[in-house]
Amino acid sequence: MNILLVEDEPDLAAYIVRGLTENGHHVDHAARGDSGFLLASEGRHDLLIVDRMLPEMDGLTLVKTLREGQSKLPVLFLSNLGGLDDRVEGLNSGGDDYLSKPFAFSELLARVNALLRRPHSSGQPTSIRVGDLEMDLIKRRVTRAGREIDLQPREFSLLEYLMRRPDQVVTRTMLLEGVWDYHFDPKTNIVETHISRLRSKIGGDLIQTIRGSGYMIRATRTTS
Amino acid sequence: MRLGQLLKSASFRLTAAYVGLFSVSVGILAGLIYFLATSGMQSEVRTRIAADSTALREEYARGGPPQLLQAIAERQRGRLVGGLDYSLYNASGKHLFGNLPVVPCKSGWVTFTGPPDGDEPEGELEKLGVLVTPLAHGNCLLVGDDIGKVRKFGSLILRSFGWVFLLTATMAVAGGIFLSTRVLRRIEAINRTAEAIIEGDISRRIPRRGVPDDLDQLAATLNRMLDRMTSLMESLRHVSNDVAHDLRTPLGRLRRSLEEAGRTVSSPEESRAAIDSAVMEVDGILDTFGAILRIAQIESGSRRSNFCRLVLSELVADVCETFAPSMEEAGKVLLTRIQPDLAIRGDRELLVQSLANLLENAMAHTSAGTVVTVSLKRRPEGIELSVADNGHGVPEAQREHIFKRFYRVERSRTAAGNGLGLSIVAAVAELHGARLSASDNDPGLKIGLVFSEAA
Repeated sequence: MNILLVEDEPDLAAYIVRGLTENGHHVDHAARGDSGFLLASEGRHDLLIVDRMLPEMDGLTLVKTLREGQSKLPVLFLSNLGGLDDRVEGLNSGGDDYLSKPFAFSELLARVNALLRRPHSSGQPTSIRVGDLEMDLIKRRVTRAGREIDLQPREFSLLEYLMRRPDQVVTRTMLLEGVWDYHFDPKTNIVETHISRLRSKIGGDLIQTIRGSGYMIRATRTTS
Repeated sequence: MRLGQLLKSASFRLTAAYVGLFSVSVGILAGLIYFLATSGMQSEVRTRIAADSTALREEYARGGPPQLLQAIAERQRGRLVGGLDYSLYNASGKHLFGNLPVVPCKSGWVTFTGPPDGDEPEGELEKLGVLVTPLAHGNCLLVGDDIGKVRKFGSLILRSFGWVFLLTATMAVAGGIFLSTRVLRRIEAINRTAEAIIEGDISRRIPRRGVPDDLDQLAATLNRMLDRMTSLMESLRHVSNDVAHDLRTPLGRLRRSLEEAGRTVSSPEESRAAIDSAVMEVDGILDTFGAILRIAQIESGSRRSNFCRLVLSELVADVCETFAPSMEEAGKVLLTRIQPDLAIRGDRELLVQSLANLLENAMAHTSAGTVVTVSLKRRPEGIELSVADNGHGVPEAQREHIFKRFYRVERSRTAAGNGLGLSIVAAVAELHGARLSASDNDPGLKIGLVFSEAA
């Protein structure tokens, strides 16, 4: 996949480029806002990773201008600010996700993959199926191999979030933001305990723990 | 005190302006009185002359020149100074009486000037206002009076006003200088104090005179402001001390473990473990930084602009539901007593984080088997959210300190956490105008937040 990185910090940029390249992506890098904007306007990238604060043209303006030109390019904001309002500002300007510096590379990679695999068709499915697990989004029912599983509303949302991203690594932070709408880091293992409850209800084999990264629901059964 | 400074002072300028204004009004008043008094006197003189002329003409009509001359003689008898001047002359200009100059005999007023007789202003000639009255047989009667008297009176008025003005102006200027000097001296004191504070003597305060006037009040207010700033600076210094101290500890630990790893690690597995633990340590430090920044951001008050009405009952139930499994796993019980439909105005994200911090605090500092009770209820003073545990509690002397940054109850120093969780709660409470309290749950600790209810 073609990724455009607009980041003025040379060390960080090199670190991101190296990491993404190792994971099979092709990365173009711009160190300034204006040159980044020109590259992004060419329309040959699948994802834009952009810093909030850039020389010549700041990230917010870059993305706003891009969106005004009807670009649907997925955008991941990086920010040093990490403040309360900065995330909302970033998302309002047309960003699709927001990551505060400093971050673990696994976190960045998971979000990049999630944005790249985001379905472009906006049609809402009425049900999701992963392996023999089926989720009816209208009746809010979950069955595995035909047997109905009784879930709490929160467990349902958690499972839905995972099932919408089969075979993708989903980090703890992504779950906190996406399922709980928590934008801080609880010291408590709330995600872990909810995952383990969910596992015990749907069967332990479906949701896998990816060490040091997060969780993944497997659509394709691996023979272990 | 220099004269220049005095002249530039606001109070002196104010006085000068008042003196100027006063002078102008005194001038106008003097002019007005002068005009009214002199014109009044003048018309009175003329009336008298006219009345006398009429009377004399009648005498003449009754008895001719002899009776007229007798009447004039009667008027002048027994009189030394003052009174009117009379002249009578015939058609050929020969005087029958008096010595006023001869003018063409036409009815009307004329003015004569003559040698000074002592009652006119210095250096001016005697001035006579004369009424000419033609009589039968070509005779001409002149009746006049000294109008210099009127002008003398006028100049007397002006002179008195002049003296009064001079006296007043002198007093005003002297008073202005006196008042300005006093005010200046006090402003100078404020100035000197400010200079001393700029120079670094932060403990200096403006001396007060103990008189309840506005300058003293200003001094008191400024002193209060200085006290507040000093205490803020003090707390800032405290915080930066604490930050430095609290970050030194984990950084020192990190350095030690890295050094040790560099010396002892041989296998890839060992080095991986060492790196992992170093990353964890760094994450902890970053976390502390994040919390400090967040507190600063909350304290700036900028979040207040996106306050909205929210049902606190739902928020609390939701957070409790999220934390219950973790509580259970840690061998503790989470009880909730939530009165439904209680709403406040606030920031959802910050309130969630605060409640999460309170729950985590209760979880981190109690042992297994503890019951943590979250309750939300309407009280007369507002909506009270409380998180209570039945653990070993916090000694009363330490209770008021637990919301301070980096403060940690001695016993819990070893427990995880950065000592900022409750500080965030305190900052959020402050932002929401909520009353925060820590009390004895007998046994255990109870932390309460009282919000005002939203309509």
